[in-house]
Amino acid sequence: MPAMNLVQAIQSALDFKLSDDPRVLVFGEDAGHEGGVFRVTQGLQATYGERRVFDTPLSESVIMGAGLGMAVAGLRPVLEIQFCGFIYPAMNQLVTHVARMRNRSRGVFTAPMTIRLPYGGGIQALELHSESMEAMLAHIPGLKVVIPSTPYDAKGLLISAIECEDPVLFMEPKKVYRAFRQEVPAEPYRIPLGKASRVVEGQRLTLVAYGAMMRVARQAVELAAKEGLSVELIDLRSIYPLDTETVLDSVRKTGRLAILHEGPMSFGVAAELIARVNEEALLWLEAAPRRICGFDTIMPLPMGEHHYMPTPERVLYELLQLHNFPE
Amino acid sequence: MLTSFDPLKGKRLQMLDEAGGLVKGKFQPCLEGEALVAAYRHMVRARVADEKSLLFQRQKRIHTLPVNRGQEAAAVGSALALGKDDWLVQSYRELGGLLVRGASIRNHLLYFKGSEWGSVHADAPRILPLSVPIGSQITHAAGIGHAIRYQGGQEVVLAHFGDGATSQGDFHEGLNWAAVFKCPVVFFCNNNQYAISLARGKQTASATLAQKAIAYGMPGLQIDGNDLLAVHAATSAAVEHARAEGPVLIEAFTYRMGPHTTADDPSIYRSKEEEDAWMPKDPLIRVQLLLEKQGLWDSTREEACRTEAAADTDQAMREVDELHETPVDEIFAWQYADRPAELRRQQADYEAFLKWKEAR
Amino acid sequence: MAYVFLFPDLGEGLTEGKLLQWYVQEGAMVKEGDLIAKVETDKVVADIPIPRTGRVSRLHGNVDEILLVGKPLVELDTEGQASPLKPAPAPAEPASETAAPPAADSSGPGVVGNIEVATGTDVMPASGEGLSSIPTSASTPAGARVLATPVARRMARDLGVDVGAVAGSGPQGRVMKADIALAGRQSTVAPTAAPALRGAEHAARGSRTEPLSQLRKTVAARMVQSKFSAPHATTFEEVEVSALVALREAQRDRYSAQGLRLSYMPFICRAVALALSRHPKLNCRLDMEAGTVTWQDAVHLGLAVDTPEGLMVPVIRDADQLGIRELGLRIADLAERARTRQIRLDELRGGTFTITNYGAIAGIYGAPIINTPESAILGVGRLLETPVVKEGAVVPGRVLPLSLAVDHRIIDGGDAARFLRELMGLLADPVGMLLD
Repeated sequence: MPAMNLVQAIQSALDFKLSDDPRVLVFGEDAGHEGGVFRVTQGLQATYGERRVFDTPLSESVIMGAGLGMAVAGLRPVLEIQFCGFIYPAMNQLVTHVARMRNRSRGVFTAPMTIRLPYGGGIQALELHSESMEAMLAHIPGLKVVIPSTPYDAKGLLISAIECEDPVLFMEPKKVYRAFRQEVPAEPYRIPLGKASRVVEGQRLTLVAYGAMMRVARQAVELAAKEGLSVELIDLRSIYPLDTETVLDSVRKTGRLAILHEGPMSFGVAAELIARVNEEALLWLEAAPRRICGFDTIMPLPMGEHHYMPTPERVLYELLQLHNFPE
Repeated sequence: MLTSFDPLKGKRLQMLDEAGGLVKGKFQPCLEGEALVAAYRHMVRARVADEKSLLFQRQKRIHTLPVNRGQEAAAVGSALALGKDDWLVQSYRELGGLLVRGASIRNHLLYFKGSEWGSVHADAPRILPLSVPIGSQITHAAGIGHAIRYQGGQEVVLAHFGDGATSQGDFHEGLNWAAVFKCPVVFFCNNNQYAISLARGKQTASATLAQKAIAYGMPGLQIDGNDLLAVHAATSAAVEHARAEGPVLIEAFTYRMGPHTTADDPSIYRSKEEEDAWMPKDPLIRVQLLLEKQGLWDSTREEACRTEAAADTDQAMREVDELHETPVDEIFAWQYADRPAELRRQQADYEAFLKWKEAR
Repeated sequence: MAYVFLFPDLGEGLTEGKLLQWYVQEGAMVKEGDLIAKVETDKVVADIPIPRTGRVSRLHGNVDEILLVGKPLVELDTEGQASPLKPAPAPAEPASETAAPPAADSSGPGVVGNIEVATGTDVMPASGEGLSSIPTSASTPAGARVLATPVARRMARDLGVDVGAVAGSGPQGRVMKADIALAGRQSTVAPTAAPALRGAEHAARGSRTEPLSQLRKTVAARMVQSKFSAPHATTFEEVEVSALVALREAQRDRYSAQGLRLSYMPFICRAVALALSRHPKLNCRLDMEAGTVTWQDAVHLGLAVDTPEGLMVPVIRDADQLGIRELGLRIADLAERARTRQIRLDELRGGTFTITNYGAIAGIYGAPIINTPESAILGVGRLLETPVVKEGAVVPGRVLPLSLAVDHRIIDGGDAARFLRELMGLLADPVGMLLD
């Protein structure tokens, strides 16, 4: 089986869908000729031509809006927003139209489009290149939000996202674009949207994470094991729909839950998950759930970024607090 | 035609003057005889439905809605230039155009009573739903046009928006995209002189809206928006150009004779004198005069046409009166192709509440 | 499931100890309280008991090795079955705890920022999900856990009750607050093994610190709870019981011939039970949270019993329906079994009123503490031989001092006084009481 990093896995999925479905177009700023600033779409224009894989003018709003028009007219656009922070100019189109077209027209017009955006911090970048706003996006009814953490998952999820009849935000954790490689089948396969994955089985604590934080989480789980703590690790993979059942199964076993994500703590994904766990598994909880998140602050510039981004030690610290509750 | 009326030189296409006389010019109208009569009927129906809608709103049978009065020529004339498979991307003041394309008055009333089903036109599938965020639909039109071009189709897209929309970023982004990719889109700007209370002169420092087309590298012309013949001819030419070459911008110079919506009071920001000055330019008057001159129309037919339109509108309202609540299941059914577990849970919880309420 | 027992602190500030001997082997079954190891510290050589039951899955440490406090000492499998562990795929990325150093090669572009690029040949294995032949992992079924709300758990903690040991009466076996309150009123019959040894510290002279027993902790908590939630109002009275004394004298031999010792308590219990049935307010139960008062028809009398371990309150059920003889038998039996700790848990619960006869040892008047969740308690003092006034003359009399404490949230002075008056009337005229 070939070994691919995240960039290659995503490219592999795009390559498959372009060859498989003539309705698929791939476009974005610098996505065509150059192959994207991260080279994710590299080589695709050469293979499939400029009609199918192309560069757009520098206008996020029309990239989103025209994408919707294409989807309404029967195509399957896969558009790229160059950096997460640049989705903001396109938010109006995303929220007021992309997310609503199906409901507004009672299914006559739908938006089967995929919006790829590299997201997340830890890369010492300028402002707005390190955003993690999946909670904001997941809060919009009508959208699906998916965040792979590994190359294997990324390929399977992206194929599913493109084939999905609903608009999907495919958020790519750019920090780990090239950080590690994984065996990824050359042939196509699908991983269903809306399903989390238990990646490490454990007994005492449940840790939930996603995206680039999965790597941090794995390291923290190992640190915890050295302290005699058996931690079960779940990769959420899908923010909306959120796989509550997998988390509940784990919480009913361990009684103790911690959730790790980059984005700001308040009004975030962890808060939502805890609300659901309280609603459905309160009686199994032995400790107050803990959130290990970014602060309610603007992402600091590089010299301060390390304070913001959760590290394995910080996760371990929180896991120990969780373990020692209520002392 | 598209390059014969240079907006930078203040040129404006007119074919039918206020008195109902044909204007001598290089270009001939494409509407005449029974086709012209049919067009006029559409305008009358649109006018009557619009007037009655205001009444129905005051009777609280429907909610606040925009008023179309004065813009019938722009809506009807442009829509008549489309072929069967062409797309209409509306803003919200094109009732005449929707009716031309096969949408029903019933749906119009149903939408403003508050049901999404009012946007579902069984007989007119290629009309996008009403667009609330101003100008945002312009980018959709560009995208649809892009898809048509990609698939090698012959259809075109007619995108309507107002003078206010030309200040929105999406106007700029959509026209720019369409020109770059040569999308078959006719961008039709209804310059009715007002964006709610802001007069056109304060909306932009450009002398005309049509000249903005130059910046995007596409043809642009200004036409008399109250002139059915000019609207129809210009749109027809634009449709041909769009299909063959690329997008066009038409500025239809018209006037919003009524308030912005049924909840607006224009007397706050414009004078009665100004409104009165536009009354003789009413788009219906000149067509009626022309048709009468040509012996194709008279007061009896006028009366009958209006009565029929009124009756149809009343009937449609009565049908809509019978419809009440959106069923609970519909609230949840149309968010996604499937129904995620969380949504099902929320629905079940709500239905449990309803049962409890029922039993009390 | 796996239980990891960490090497405990055997004395204040202990940080390490030398393992002298293992008492168990891997694979052996151990019970809670079994000794598993001998350890030498700078203060003492101690045996370490294990606080759980299970099968030893792992021993950490070799003989003569120095072990650190807080590190795993022994691992148990407490459910007796090994959980099937899937191998966790190990991510093979360069170990970096903080933001990765920039890789300046052209294969890691990003225009802005530094994208870490993997070096080396490590490759994470595929998960196989979505490939037709490989099934997705089934989730582990929910383990058996105690169901209880956080509020209930906290209550259990405050009362010193192990929520896991309480039988739940709620839906799906949920442990309810009421179950915990009940459990909190019982003494634990089998003492739990002290999880950590605190060695006998002999400091300067004659001082000794020992852990509180479960019973003592429970009594302490309940006394605090009662005293600081119910405003106690106490009324003192005296009743002249010469007639009762004479009656008991007259009957004593008859009873002793049957091997029964007749004390005053059965008479007092009968009188109290009768008085309660006529003044049910002192037999009620208050629930401030729910804003309710519960009237109880039955009278279940608790009798405070002084035992070597401390106070216990066995309950005579339906005391209002028992005769003197039966009462006497019950009292004797319950007291005996309480003292020998053979009493059952259900015999320590469900009381509606309590009598505390401290006078049997010493004390004339007292201010007893109500036995929550009851609403009143009667203290009986020492039977006095003392001058009394009868028909204008001072004569020797027999006086029984009574101290009635009530929860003034629900019982007012008038109610208390009326009850006392009733009770006094019955005790002063025992024949009349028995004939009623």
